[in-house]
Amino acid sequence: MASLANLPLAERMQVTFEAQEFTFHEAALLDNRQYEAWLDLLTDDIHYWMPIRRTTTLKEVSDEFTQRGGMAFFDDDKNTLTRRVNRLSLARAWAEDPPSRTRRLVTNLQVVEVSGDEIQLHANFQLYRTRLNSEEDNWIGRREDLLRRVGGVLKLARRHIYLEQTVILSQNMSSLF
Amino acid sequence: MAQVISSSRARWYDPDSATLDRRIFSDPEIYQQELERIFGRAWNFICHESQLPEPGRFFMNYIGEDQVIAVRDRKHQIQVLLNSCPHRGNTVCRAEQGKTASFLCSYHGWNYDLDGSLIGMPGENQFYRGDFDKKAWGLGKAAQVQIYRGFVFATLDAQAPPLVDYLGWVGRLGLDMVASSGDIEVLDGVQKNRIKCNWKLAVDNLYDWYHVKVSHGSALRIGLLTEESMAPDGQMVMLGDYGHGIGGPGLSQAQLNDFVERMGNGEEPSKWYDLQAARRLDQRTRDELGPVGARSLGHPNIFPNLWVTLTRQLCLRIPRGPFETELWWFTLLPEGMPEEERRMAIFIANHMFGPAGFLEQDDGENWSHSTRGAMGNATRKRPLNYQMGHGQDTVVGDPSGQNSIETVVNEHGQRWTYQSWQDWMTADDWPSLIANHTPAPTGVV
Ligand code: FES
Ligand SMILES: [Fe+2]
Repeated sequence: MASLANLPLAERMQVTFEAQEFTFHEAALLDNRQYEAWLDLLTDDIHYWMPIRRTTTLKEVSDEFTQRGGMAFFDDDKNTLTRRVNRLSLARAWAEDPPSRTRRLVTNLQVVEVSGDEIQLHANFQLYRTRLNSEEDNWIGRREDLLRRVGGVLKLARRHIYLEQTVILSQNMSSLF
Repeated sequence: MAQVISSSRARWYDPDSATLDRRIFSDPEIYQQELERIFGRAWNFICHESQLPEPGRFFMNYIGEDQVIAVRDRKHQIQVLLNSCPHRGNTVCRAEQGKTASFLCSYHGWNYDLDGSLIGMPGENQFYRGDFDKKAWGLGKAAQVQIYRGFVFATLDAQAPPLVDYLGWVGRLGLDMVASSGDIEVLDGVQKNRIKCNWKLAVDNLYDWYHVKVSHGSALRIGLLTEESMAPDGQMVMLGDYGHGIGGPGLSQAQLNDFVERMGNGEEPSKWYDLQAARRLDQRTRDELGPVGARSLGHPNIFPNLWVTLTRQLCLRIPRGPFETELWWFTLLPEGMPEEERRMAIFIANHMFGPAGFLEQDDGENWSHSTRGAMGNATRKRPLNYQMGHGQDTVVGDPSGQNSIETVVNEHGQRWTYQSWQDWMTADDWPSLIANHTPAPTGVV
């Protein structure tokens, strides 16, 4: 296990660049509605999770998010993510028919740890969704990803999504983060 | 007060033709009257006792647009306080939940005890010259707070009848359906999201077993649900005074007997209703729910806006103006539930409903576009149709008092909601509502 600061610059650049390439490619697939190809980027044991957040006092801010294993907006494995993807390509899955237009801005990429085949990556994102003529949703948050090299190729093995909103100001979250 | 409601002649819902004036989904004056006449009078669901385990624990909710703090005070009583400081009106609590010793107003520092009484104010001697009646200036409170099986309700109206009477057998049965499996607790984490729809369209939908195969047809095609489970033909409706109702699938006595026998033999669940009916397995639960109630796998609504789901959840529909509604999902599980069952129950709750839920995703746009349809100059003047099954079914009396309609997919629940809503809106106060409300129907409906 190596926290990144201990690695030589060339190695830091290399791993950060790889993580960035992966991330931008992944975001482009979702933006372009290539959902099947996106699924292929996930390991079979992926955990995809978005806890519920709430306003607390500063003193109780450690209670801001719900815990693993409890209530969440997303608590998905490959199976449920596959079903979400299947929905996205079905006619008359109404939340996304007509399909939304989405654009993902993923920034502030930080490789925080490299350990064997695994890279821990933190990033900020903005997911902008518009649909029909005038509907707009804006989700901004932080992602904590675990990338794993499988057969020499990077895959997404874990994604924890921390939104800034507490009350979700949208009629639904039918998009993938 | 603007007289949008001039007399009982004014009718939005016409029970003879089963049609509804759409302006009730968009008229801002009607909305203001709802805040007074519906939310201001009703017993409103606030939280479950398990969310307030010890003194100082609080949970923020709303009664209509009035923000309230439910808090357990030092005497272990649950208080429902208006979150508005009597000095300038600022809120005294900004967190959605947590634990506190008192509520300190962030504006000038008036400080309130857990029971709402004003216990401190900066400059009491120096600026108020020691001449201030603190007792008279505590936080406002709900007129009454009562608890039914751990569910905390509050009303702003001192004339409201006791909660158990308000709920009646239908409202109580609706809550019993989640409470009858022993002590229950609310899981940490209430999912909240906003839909641009009138709150009544969200309520209307919980009785709607007609939309399921169309709105949520995708759930069938991705193998999440079966055709039969999505909108079973056998439907059962129970209607109670003041607008409570339960509508949805119902088992025949033969189906229930068959189920109890198969599960008693240790068979694996195989029929569409087995998972839901599993909560009716032990005799005690069936006795508690009653002979008719035990056969219902339907959706209760505690009037006005609390839906009890089949996934052990409560969904509260909080109005945010005529055109917006906040949905809050509470998940309730029996205490000491076996780990594997508990995991499965949480999995189902997380994946069916809530804004990212496989079913719930598809609902919001329908409701918001229905709301928009109530705004157009031409569209709002055209009535909506609530005629499915109208005049075609009969309320069957049961010696237990649990009267029910056993039928196919129908709109009895919706009709009852709007009829009752109209009663509430045309009543001047609780005594007149008690005297003049439409009693739960008998005979042909
Ligand atoms: S508004 Fe609360 S102390 Fe002044
Ligand atoms: Fe629905």
